[in-house]
Amino acid sequence: MGDGIFRQKNGMVAIDIVASCGVMTPEQLSGLARLSEECGVFRIKLSTRQTLVAVLDEKGAGRLVESLPGLGLKVSPYGNVVRAVKACAGSSALCPRAVGEALALGIEIQDKYLGMEVPKDFKIAVAGCLRGCTDPYCADLGIVSSGREVFDVSIGGFGGSSKPLHGEVVARRIKREDVFLLIDHVLNRFRALGEPGEKLGRAITRLGLTPFLPPAGVKEAQQAPPDDFVKFLED
Amino acid sequence: MRYAGPAGMDLEKMAVPLENICSQCDYKGTPDCREPECLMGFARRVLSYAVQKGLLDVPGASSLIPKGDFKHYYPEALVPALAETCRQCKECRDNHTPDCVVALVRSSVEYTVLSDSIPYPGSVFMYLARIKEQNPELAALLAGELSKKG
Ligand code: SF4
Ligand code: SF4
Repeated sequence: MGDGIFRQKNGMVAIDIVASCGVMTPEQLSGLARLSEECGVFRIKLSTRQTLVAVLDEKGAGRLVESLPGLGLKVSPYGNVVRAVKACAGSSALCPRAVGEALALGIEIQDKYLGMEVPKDFKIAVAGCLRGCTDPYCADLGIVSSGREVFDVSIGGFGGSSKPLHGEVVARRIKREDVFLLIDHVLNRFRALGEPGEKLGRAITRLGLTPFLPPAGVKEAQQAPPDDFVKFLED
Repeated sequence: MRYAGPAGMDLEKMAVPLENICSQCDYKGTPDCREPECLMGFARRVLSYAVQKGLLDVPGASSLIPKGDFKHYYPEALVPALAETCRQCKECRDNHTPDCVVALVRSSVEYTVLSDSIPYPGSVFMYLARIKEQNPELAALLAGELSKKG
């Protein structure tokens, strides 16, 4: 596993900083702004994976990296690992379209799996409704809320390629806890069956979906309207 | 100050023609007016709930539409309600969901006039074409209403 620290063509250093799926408190944001000024950061770029890339001269880089944990931030792991999770605004607080709490799920998934070693980089995208603002079908593992506490999961997609693939749905309307069982299973199978440097989607093309299908016990859940809606209706 | 609904939808505007329908109902103000069992009452509750919670979708709510409400409503009264759903619809096409607040109101109104709710194609134009197949008079009224300024 490597860290997201890259030498740039102009001699500067880019540091890829990861927060909770792009969510920061005002204190984190202002703390990072102050630290960036102190370390001589030239520019900060919001990345497509919802991380922040700080570009600066090498002499300030060490201090920036060391100070990140104090702000609850860290350097994003890089290479053939589970990468920073891309989660949409899907939550009751941030998107009126959200049918489930996708952002909180994305953050929990990132906390659990970020940096785990795999045969080839593994990208996870989580969306709070079928609009899929985070392009879940273009991720190695995509999760879409299909109800309040239930999710559809697709695997094997990758968008960034000259031969892109869309993921295939392997589970519909599964419970939150089963999403974790399914991710564990897919990662284990990928580690066992994937060739070094092989994307999950290519491994699936080579071996078929069967080895990656959800374990027994991961089953479709029944959809029920929110309890408070039922109460509101009846009152 | 007046706020537009989330994502530019004016949910309160959809409530106005529903209130008009209710005000003409014989059960209005009597113990027989039971909103959860009434298509118009259900649609109005969905709207109040959505406004209160700032939601555009109520997952699973389409399963609660009281399809057993067979009260008679005049198409002339229903058409403005249907037209308002067309105006507020974001035409999400492939992303249409029957649990969208607009769809919940539209389906509730449809059940009063059509033998079955029309699977919504996610676009107003295609929707009008489908209504025309099932009920040409209603389609003509709706097209007339939509040509008025909303
Ligand atoms: S995917 Fe849905 S819930 Fe998430 S940000 Fe987009 S519209 Fe909102
Ligand atoms: S297309 Fe469907 S989901 Fe989109 S606003 Fe219209 S009714 Fe709602």
